[in-house]
Amino acid sequence: MTAPVDGRRGWARFGGLLSRTRRERIKLLQKSVYKIWKQYRQSLGGMIGLSVLVFFILIAVLAPVISTFENPDDISWNRVNPTYVPPSSKFLLGTDYHGRDVYSLTVWGTRASLIVGFLASLISIVLGTGVGLISGYFGKLYDEVLMRFTDFFLVIPWFPLMIVFATLLGRSFTNVIIVIGITSWPSTARIVRAQVLSIKEKTFVERAISVGAGSGRIISRHILPNVFPLIFANTILLVANSIFSESFLDFFGLGDPSVISWGTVLESAYENAAFSSYAWWNILAPGACIIILIMAFYLIGDALDEVMNPKLRRR
Amino acid sequence: MVQHFRRYFAKKLIYVIFTVFLILTFNFILFRVMPGDVTRIVIPKGAAPGSDTFERLSHYYGLDQSKPVQYFKYISQLLQGDLGESISFETGWKVGDILGPFLFNTLILVGMGTVLSIFFGMWLGRVTAWKRGKATDRVGSAFFLMFYCMPTFLFALLMLTLAARFVPDWPIRGAYSSTYYSMDWTDKIGDRLVHTMLPLFALVIETIATFSIITRSSLIDVMTEEYMVTAVAKGLSSREILRKHAMPNAMLPVMTVVAMNVGWILSGSIMIEIVFSYQGLGYLTYYAVLDQDYPLLQAAFMLEAVAVVIANFIADLMLMALDPRVNV
Repeated sequence: MTAPVDGRRGWARFGGLLSRTRRERIKLLQKSVYKIWKQYRQSLGGMIGLSVLVFFILIAVLAPVISTFENPDDISWNRVNPTYVPPSSKFLLGTDYHGRDVYSLTVWGTRASLIVGFLASLISIVLGTGVGLISGYFGKLYDEVLMRFTDFFLVIPWFPLMIVFATLLGRSFTNVIIVIGITSWPSTARIVRAQVLSIKEKTFVERAISVGAGSGRIISRHILPNVFPLIFANTILLVANSIFSESFLDFFGLGDPSVISWGTVLESAYENAAFSSYAWWNILAPGACIIILIMAFYLIGDALDEVMNPKLRRR
Repeated sequence: MVQHFRRYFAKKLIYVIFTVFLILTFNFILFRVMPGDVTRIVIPKGAAPGSDTFERLSHYYGLDQSKPVQYFKYISQLLQGDLGESISFETGWKVGDILGPFLFNTLILVGMGTVLSIFFGMWLGRVTAWKRGKATDRVGSAFFLMFYCMPTFLFALLMLTLAARFVPDWPIRGAYSSTYYSMDWTDKIGDRLVHTMLPLFALVIETIATFSIITRSSLIDVMTEEYMVTAVAKGLSSREILRKHAMPNAMLPVMTVVAMNVGWILSGSIMIEIVFSYQGLGYLTYYAVLDQDYPLLQAAFMLEAVAVVIANFIADLMLMALDPRVNV
C-alpha cells in the first residue's frame, strides 16, 4: 500500500485510504443528505413527527432514569400496591390490576415497541427488496415465480396469517419480530420491482453493461441507489405498521408475556376488566402512546415522500 | 362487449380457483408439514398414543401414511365439506358444524360495516374535498388521520370503556343475549340490532377514515382536470358539477381501494369481535388460538382467506362493469 501522496496528518490520512472517487462520492452523499434535510425542515408535519419520535426514543433510552422503577422486573406482579389506584402524586398514572405502576410500565413498554418496529421493518425491507430486485432485474422465470409468490401473499389477508404464524411458532419476543417481518414484505417487493423495471431501461444502466459491469455491480451501484429513496418513505410506514401489529399480537395474547410492552399492558387491562372498573388510565396511557407514535411515523413518512419523490405528488 | 366481458370473467374465475387451491395447499403445509409433531396439532392432548381416539384420528387424517397420501386425503375430505374434528369442543364435533353460526355473525357485521362505510366515507370525502382548505376540511382531515392511525382494537376498547361507564345497561358482550334462542323472530332481530350496534359503529368509524381519505384525494385530482373548467364555463351549478362530472370519475380509484381493502376490513372485524366477544370468525380464531385447537384455527384461516379472494373477485367484476376500459 502506498502512503498518502499529499502527506496529510490525523484523520485526513484515513481519507487517503479511500480512492479519490470514493471520497468524492461520500462528499456528494453528504451534500444530498444536507439538501434533503433542508427541504424536510420546511414541512411542519414532518418536524412534529420527528420531534415526537425523538421524544419516544429518549424515553426508551432513559427508561431506567425516568421511570419510578429502575429495573422492569421490580414492577412486581405481587400485589404490593392496591388494585386500580387512580392517578396521584405517588402513582403518576395510577396502578393496574396487579398493583403495578402504569407510568413505569408505559415508559418501559416504549422499548419493546420501538425495537419490534425497527427490527421487523428491517426484516421486511431486506426480504421485500431482495425479492423485488431479483424479479425485476433478472426477469423471465425468476420474475414469473417470485411475483406469483408475492401475489399469493398479497391476496392472503395478512392479519389472520400473522395470527396463524405466531400461534404455530409460539410466544416469544423474537418470534413476534420474525412473524411481523415475514408477513409484511410483499408490498415492498411490488414497489421495488416496479422501480427496478423502469430504471433497468435507463441509458446509464445500458452504459454500465456495455463497459462490462457485472450484474452484482450494476445492482449495487446503479439500481439500488435509485430504488432507495422510494423504499425509504415506505419503510417509515412499515415501522408504523409493525408497531401496530406488535401491540395487537401482545393484546391478542400471542406476544411474550414476560416482556413489558404497551400491548401486554392493554392485554392485562382487558383481561382484568379495567373498562368496567372505570380504570381509564390503564387503557389511556399505553393506548395514547401507540396512537401518537404511529401518527408520528405517518407524518414523517408523508414528509419524506414529498421530499424524496416529488414527481409522485401532483397536489 | 359481452364477449369481452365473458373472457374477462373466465380469466378471473380460473385465477380465483387456482388461488383457492393454493390457499388449501398452503394451509396443509403450514399445519402439517412445518417442523413439529403433527399428532400434537390435530389430536386432543388427552388422547395418548394407542388410545381409541388417537388411532381413529390418526387413520382419519392418514397420519400413518406418507405426506403425499395425507395431502390427497386432506384435499378430498375438504372437497366433501369435511373440515376435520375440533379438539377443544367436545370430542367428535365436526369443525364444519361449529363454523356455521360464527360465519353468519361475521357476515352480518362485515357486510353492514362495508356498505355503511362506503356510503358515509364517500359522502365525507366529497364534503371535505369540496371545502378543500377551509375549516371543515382541516378539522375533518385531522380526524381522519387520527382514526386512520388508531389501531381498530384500541378504538373498540375505548368504545367499550365509554359504554361501560355511561350506559351501564347497554349489552357490550356477544352477538346476542343468552335468551336469544327462546325469542320469537321480531325480538331476535331487535336483540341482534342492539348487540351489533357498538361493534358495527367501531368498524364503520375505522373504515370510513380510509375511504374518505381516498375519495378526497381522488376527487381533488379530478377537479384539476380541464373538463372541470369547461363545466364551470358552461354555467353549471357547483352541485351539478360535483354530481355529474366530478364524482363519476373520482369513483374508479375509490372502487379499486375498496376492493383492495376487503382483507383489511376483515382484519378490523377480527379485532372488534375479540374486544366485544362478538361470536364471529375472529372471535372463533381467538378462541382456537387460546385453546390450541389447530383444526379449528386451520378452518377459520382457510375461510377468511377464501372469503377475501372471493370478495376481490366480485370487486373486480364490479370494476369491469363500471369502467369498460379495464382490460384483464
